[in-house]
Amino acid sequence: MFDLKYTEILRQNKQLGEALAGTQVYQLTMLSNVITNQLNEILEYSLRSADINAKVNGGDYDNIVQDTLKFSKSDVVVIFWELANLVDGLQYKANLMSDAELEALISKVCSEIDFVIANLKSTSLVLFNKFSTLIFNHQNLRSNNFDRICDRLNAHITTNTGNNFFIIDIDKILAKLSIDKCADFRYYYSSKALYTIDFYKAYAQFVLPIIKSVKGKAKKALIFDCDNTLWKGILGEDGIEKIEMSGATKSGVVFEEVQNLAIELAQKGILIGLCSKNNPQDVDIVLSDHADITLRNKDITIKKVNWEDKATNLRAIASDLNIGIDSLVFVDDSDFEANYIKENLPQVSVLQVPANLYEYPKLIRDNINLFFNITQSKEDLKKTEMYKQQAQRTEEKAAFNDVESYLRSLQLEITVHANAPVFTPRVSQLTQKTNQFNLTTKRYTEADIENFINNGAWIFAFEVKDKYGDSGITGAVIVQIDSETKVAIIDSFLMSCRVIGRNIEQAFFDFLIKYLQKANVETINAQYIKTYKNEQVINFYDALGFTCKDDDGIVKNYQLIADNYKSNNIDYIKVNYGTEN
Amino acid sequence: MEQRIKNVMASVFNLEENEIGNDASPDTIEQWDSLRHMHLIVGLEEEFGVTFKEDEIVEMMNYQLIYDTLKNKV
Repeated sequence: MFDLKYTEILRQNKQLGEALAGTQVYQLTMLSNVITNQLNEILEYSLRSADINAKVNGGDYDNIVQDTLKFSKSDVVVIFWELANLVDGLQYKANLMSDAELEALISKVCSEIDFVIANLKSTSLVLFNKFSTLIFNHQNLRSNNFDRICDRLNAHITTNTGNNFFIIDIDKILAKLSIDKCADFRYYYSSKALYTIDFYKAYAQFVLPIIKSVKGKAKKALIFDCDNTLWKGILGEDGIEKIEMSGATKSGVVFEEVQNLAIELAQKGILIGLCSKNNPQDVDIVLSDHADITLRNKDITIKKVNWEDKATNLRAIASDLNIGIDSLVFVDDSDFEANYIKENLPQVSVLQVPANLYEYPKLIRDNINLFFNITQSKEDLKKTEMYKQQAQRTEEKAAFNDVESYLRSLQLEITVHANAPVFTPRVSQLTQKTNQFNLTTKRYTEADIENFINNGAWIFAFEVKDKYGDSGITGAVIVQIDSETKVAIIDSFLMSCRVIGRNIEQAFFDFLIKYLQKANVETINAQYIKTYKNEQVINFYDALGFTCKDDDGIVKNYQLIADNYKSNNIDYIKVNYGTEN
Repeated sequence: MEQRIKNVMASVFNLEENEIGNDASPDTIEQWDSLRHMHLIVGLEEEFGVTFKEDEIVEMMNYQLIYDTLKNKV
């Protein structure tokens, strides 16, 4: 985006808008006490380039508090509250204020912030810029009253906002670009417009990973080549004693850092894999025995070490992990391999090890936001381990002649929790990340999930356990109930790919329908909405005995008379009832 | 230069280039308010690699004046 002029962005934004017409609109509202209109289309362009049909509108100038009431239903509200314009000329007036005047101002603004927080408590996502004094104060050695107000307001925001608020540290954007490139005072005094086009581009780029994460577009796996990517040197030629990855050597130190960056990602639930052309035994020896290696087998979820072409291997990695090929990031040092993947698998993000090795850790760090996840759950922390249990299951499965006797051997148990707020972050995350076993693919933030519960919907989250381990919360359903008409509507049903293929969904539906019947529900309506990833559940409701009422090729509407439901009677899955609120 | 100016104007005012005549001004283009004027100035500055002074910005309130100002600058 940085190589595009503003007018080019306007033109391309219009074209992207036309190309995305008809897809679901993602509504953003920009609220500001300075003029920021140029950001609207730049932000739209940035999101539309990521296939999100964004529409950005602005509230009235300097009307943030009232407008939060008016626009609270937007998918995203962006609050651009300029400190210097809290009061006209605050950048100099603050420093002439008495302590009492200062306190009065702080307390007035804090209560305005409280109104904003209250008005937006049900909004899916709020991006709230931190207050900043950098544009006016960066030359002051000593902090002044203007800084003091800034610190107090920022402390107030940090302590009082809920988890639907994401606080944007705009100082980082100002620093990255340089303050002088961010502010244009020509329009500030006449029209209250402070920021440059370059700043708006950087802002749009800075917040993009947050919205991509909410829309289920974050990357999930980081796949490394080995030679000259995980370590310096070529294992097959230089031999195990010559390859370098130790902080004690000039070239090794770079690879040590990259390995540790990978470990940090693995601990956050990003899947780490290897895809390299080597003898597999050689690489295994390095992983288990090399004195300097920090990235170990326990951090690595998948290995494709062989002599096949890398596009085939990356496809196999995506399919083994049950994730989309567009969820992969691939790192390789070779021009040939990097270009081969770019050409054959354009959905994969390719990072090429720079010729200047000292730039390599920075390359990884600069791209870490590809994996940004707005919600974090305890399931993330155990993910590598759970994928390994999955591999064990697959191995054992091969030993059985038929699937059912294999499933019987697993000692499956599911535990269902109803409306338990403790699982809200995880349920929200599942809606954002699940693509394949997802009947309607509706994405919800934590605030959306809370709204469902507050408005009387039922949310069941379930854990799956077997003899190999506990997968944590890996499935959820959102049901809206109309007690007068005795109709239940299944808004969402989804399961993580980690628990697919064990008839969990059948056992769960036996439970769910029984539960709904007890609550006097007579009719159940459900929907399948086709995406390019959820083909595998296209006939899910048909198989359960629902009647398809209409089908326009994208949306299929189903109905079930509860009394007609035929239980699947799966006796090898134990269903426990967990927390209820 | 005429074409490049009209191109920028078309993008900013969301019009086709042939809708921008030599008589273009806030009287003939409804969208040309003070906010869009700001967008227009930014677009022209990027397109021609120039920076306008405050009095020039206030001055450039129709196509002809924009053309004249730019001609003196580039």
